[in-house]
Amino acid sequence: MMSVGSIAPWHDIADHTSELRIRLRAGSLGELLAEAGRALAEIQLRGTAAAASGDWRRLEVSAPDRAGLLAEWLNELVYLGETERWVATEFAVEPAGTRAVTARVRGMTLERAPGLVKAATLHGLRVDEVPGGVSGEVVLDI
Amino acid sequence: MTSLTANYPAIVVTPLLREIPVTARSDMRVPVRIYADEELWRQIVDDRSLEQAVNVATLPGVTGCVYAMPDVHEGYGFPVGGVAATRAGDGVISPGGVGYDINCGVRLLATGLEAEAARPRLEAAVHDLSRSIPSGPGRNPWLDLSGPDLDRVLQDGCRYLVERELALPEDITVTEASGSLPEADPAQVSEKAKRRGHDQLGTIGSGNHFVEVQVVDQVFDAAAAYGLTRGQLTVLIHTGSRGLGHQVCTDYVRRMDQVMADYGIHLPDRQLACAPLSSPDGKAYFAAMCAAANFAWSNRQAITHSVRKVFARAFGEAGRLRLVYDVAHNIAKLERHGNELLCVHRKGATRAFGPAHPETPERYRAIGQPVFIPGSMGTASYVLAGTDAGLALSFGSACQGAAKRARTGAEVRHELEAKGIIVRCPSSGELAEEAPTAYKDVERVVDVVHRAGLARKVARLRPVGVIKG
Repeated sequence: MMSVGSIAPWHDIADHTSELRIRLRAGSLGELLAEAGRALAEIQLRGTAAAASGDWRRLEVSAPDRAGLLAEWLNELVYLGETERWVATEFAVEPAGTRAVTARVRGMTLERAPGLVKAATLHGLRVDEVPGGVSGEVVLDI
Repeated sequence: MTSLTANYPAIVVTPLLREIPVTARSDMRVPVRIYADEELWRQIVDDRSLEQAVNVATLPGVTGCVYAMPDVHEGYGFPVGGVAATRAGDGVISPGGVGYDINCGVRLLATGLEAEAARPRLEAAVHDLSRSIPSGPGRNPWLDLSGPDLDRVLQDGCRYLVERELALPEDITVTEASGSLPEADPAQVSEKAKRRGHDQLGTIGSGNHFVEVQVVDQVFDAAAAYGLTRGQLTVLIHTGSRGLGHQVCTDYVRRMDQVMADYGIHLPDRQLACAPLSSPDGKAYFAAMCAAANFAWSNRQAITHSVRKVFARAFGEAGRLRLVYDVAHNIAKLERHGNELLCVHRKGATRAFGPAHPETPERYRAIGQPVFIPGSMGTASYVLAGTDAGLALSFGSACQGAAKRARTGAEVRHELEAKGIIVRCPSSGELAEEAPTAYKDVERVVDVVHRAGLARKVARLRPVGVIKG
């Protein structure tokens, strides 16, 4: 597991024809995944502020590498959005090495499924170590 | 960006065809051929679609040429508007070569109504369509499928919908593959995918999907017009396999990404993840993809059922709708080309078989398979006929539509309404995303397809009402 660096969590969302590209920076892989979750929630909630409610729930995902973990993590959240109309907004993510992650998340149930994001792709997917933490990039199919 | 043309110098074969030779990059196995005129070529080199087509040309077992249609644009791994065939015996199958929306496609319905005669009741009918067909992330309240019923849809596609009286027997005679690929296996579709799709049959979804009421405003070839006449009211349905297809793609891209190295496959783009078609992983994806394709044909068929009910309410017997054809544009199919059995990946590309092909429906044997090229929302769509020559030119393929070029501003609703088009869309943001000016010029795209001999122009359809996903 990587040590926690000094980079404050940050994301940027850029749109392009039929996709959204999220760029991320954070002090650790866990913080990067939490920031990716917040970026996805921003898209799913279309920028409207909303407070989490209800119990914390536990999510687990695994992948062959750190970048794959980023895509898997977001795909799990997309799946919950579509099938349960549930959007996660608060995250406590604990990576177990670079191939698995356990997270406690809280969020909210919407009246209608947040349909904009359909999948996180492997296209241009990356997670890199940088001074003070990690950076990442993922393209979402919309 | 000019570097792409510098990196991949293209030979001008004809004024409408360029070729990137197999020698352009050391890992290419076949050349890349691009159908475009000068203006479309300038747009094509503006994104990464050529680089992606070159990447596709490195796939194990790829044969002939990789083709880029005139509307080609950057996708995930494969370019959208790309066609690539791999040998069934020793080639690969790639979920990225089909895309997330498996069997996204188009079907055209024809009424017996003159648009002018229908005009007094048209606005009410469009609003009724909007109420009757869930769009956006909506679910279908009247068709929630339990486990066995969903598996029947996945296994048998439109044939099952005939049993459920959601399709007419004659509908499946004019649906690509009769709306049912026999290689489908519901057991290869994950529970997650089934959970995403169980209540989505008969829904439009979001993105660039729509149901459009149109009028035939030009017929180029009356003898080959599939019964379409000028002034006739038609309905075009554009959607796919919804969340179920997306989950199948997500599941198998992940699986192939994990096993690719075991097969000794190393590719320049991770999203091209693939496995030999003959391997357990390849066979499982193909069976799941066929099941998702059956779901997509059934989705368009269930929407057709809703449209028929609305038109019967609005126009009575005159509103009876005949299915002209239904064609996929995100799919991999096993096809015999010459003496070889090939797996033809069409991503954002339409099958366009000519009159002589045995898979062209009996009633269209004198004309060729219908090909539909939807324009962007608010612009004309085209009906074309496949050609026998197209088999040698592009594995019998034509383009999908007026591909996206760039995003536009937000006053689309007013622009469309100013053109007299009735608009029903829950989100102005998504309406803006699908603005006509965000797309390449459909007239130019169709002109290249026609002049290159991939398909022949038959008729043009002008929108008069739009239900946007």
